[in-house]
Amino acid sequence: MYRYWKKRFKTTLEQDEELEAIKKELKKLVKKKFGGSLAIRMVDSGSCNACEAECNALSNPYYNLEELGIHFVASPRHADVMFLSGVMTFNMYHHAIDCYNQIPSPKWVIAIGDCVKDLGVFEKTYAIKGNSIEVTHYIPNCPPSPKDIIAGFLEFAREV
Amino acid sequence: MRLIARFAQELQNGIEIVDVYDKETQKSLLSFDNLKIGTLTKKYPSAIWMERKISDEFGVEFIDSFDTRPLLKHEHFPSDIYPLRKNFNATEINFSEYKPYDYEAIGGDGVFQVAVGPIHAGIIEPGHFQFSQAGEEILHLEIRHFYKYRAIEKMCEGKEPMAIKKIVERISGNESVAYQVAFVDILAQASGIELPTSIKQKYATLLEVERIIHHLTDIGFIANDVGFAPALALGGKLSEEARRVFAKITGHRFGFGAIKEELTIDFGSLIEFLNYLEKELEFFRDWIYDIPSVWDRFDTTGKLSVRKAIKYGVVGVGARASGVKVDARDNDFYKNFGYQMQLGKKGEVSDRFKLRFNEIFNSIEMIKNFETYDNEGFEFGEFKDGEYSAFTESSIGELFMYLKIKNGLVDRFFVRDPSFINWQAFHTTIYKDIIADFPLINKSFDLSYAGSDL
Repeated sequence: MYRYWKKRFKTTLEQDEELEAIKKELKKLVKKKFGGSLAIRMVDSGSCNACEAECNALSNPYYNLEELGIHFVASPRHADVMFLSGVMTFNMYHHAIDCYNQIPSPKWVIAIGDCVKDLGVFEKTYAIKGNSIEVTHYIPNCPPSPKDIIAGFLEFAREV
Repeated sequence: MRLIARFAQELQNGIEIVDVYDKETQKSLLSFDNLKIGTLTKKYPSAIWMERKISDEFGVEFIDSFDTRPLLKHEHFPSDIYPLRKNFNATEINFSEYKPYDYEAIGGDGVFQVAVGPIHAGIIEPGHFQFSQAGEEILHLEIRHFYKYRAIEKMCEGKEPMAIKKIVERISGNESVAYQVAFVDILAQASGIELPTSIKQKYATLLEVERIIHHLTDIGFIANDVGFAPALALGGKLSEEARRVFAKITGHRFGFGAIKEELTIDFGSLIEFLNYLEKELEFFRDWIYDIPSVWDRFDTTGKLSVRKAIKYGVVGVGARASGVKVDARDNDFYKNFGYQMQLGKKGEVSDRFKLRFNEIFNSIEMIKNFETYDNEGFEFGEFKDGEYSAFTESSIGELFMYLKIKNGLVDRFFVRDPSFINWQAFHTTIYKDIIADFPLINKSFDLSYAGSDL
């Protein structure tokens, strides 16, 4: 069956040279600064789910972040970097900080999307606390596209 | 009758409880000195979250209710405030002392609890799942959400109707177009205009493209949850391509701000892509339908029985996969453009998986019929005071939106996301399944947390 389907699999990907250049440099930097492996823990503190969808898209064949040695991990204790999205709600506040505290040092926080910085289009209500975790690098836009995220990640890797 | 929503709003002389059914709407007014009303939960179990929400927001007591625990007010939330009352205007509250939440748990020899969340292992939204386990078998699951509670309803109050459009767009990213269509529908009612047919066709087109993207993503992820990763690669690739086309025709990858008074859609390139997608999907379907190990996990897992689906008033993909005919698109407008309701038989993961394939094929067919090059626009007039409501079929299910305008400003905004209902029926589907099947069943419904929490 494997051979049967392998023969029939004819799928092609459009190449994006700009993206490839970014990825190439990022891979080098990950190798140089993080020993070739960087683990990310994604925490949603009250987003609309678009930022999460874009982070999920990072592992599809077009972006394939894993080949650079960057991968999403299931526990904060395995992570180097925290991706933070959302407005930081009242109800998530303690949990998000708990999660941050569980990440071993050295650690960095990258904010995904406008919500983290200034709530984006949302306004302060009693149910929103706003972020108080120190952010190393902001990736703006609502939501940032996967390419924005990779480009933002490169900026972060250059700065660190 | 099917219960769609139960919500409250403050009037001058009391709190009004609004019960929305599919055939009628009932209102009851409670005076401020006696905020008590009978519960609906005996007949409609999914009213329980609605009632607990009203209790938290307005301080209304529901007589004979089987569950009076707080819903929105978590451990650190002050319990003595009723934030949706008009006299509550604070935008900052302090954490109160920790109050433990009393989870539903089954006791007994060898029975143990597994607590999952609010922060999960994957890249998903926060929510808590409390399992009572006997070995690998799940005895009971309590779902506890509202970690993402942003108080959208309060945020919208006191603003001009057009000013909240940006907020409405971003309540739930995966359903953005559906929220926008419902909102524009309400605004059109409020200004007393009828949308031109060509505009309706264009809105419906975008709604279907959004559905296609959501279904494609799910198809990949559901198969990935049984360890069949190649499907995730192909599903992810196709959904990314669909999203790029969506970005090209709307200017945004999620269609934020896409539903406007004037709209031109490049149907040519959209249909060219859909023709390609149709071929790819036919291949995808033939391929994955041929892998026995996948179906071994899909079949008999996560069964939502017809009885439970009706009892809980489940909507959307979840309901149709169980054979329940609920779809906001089930009307003459859609049928003229080739809409056919897709139904499953047993309500298992396999039915929901197949249903997503079938719905994509139907959506593609509809979009081809929606093709129009009419450039009719429309303009909103002045918004008249009153109460308006709208229904849309989002990619998850039936969305209900309510808006009350008073003195030209938003007096009450309410949304009942399809997920809000479906989450409550979720625990009935996993009884006697093993805990490792939970992510699979969860993904097969793919409900929204943000939309449900508001």
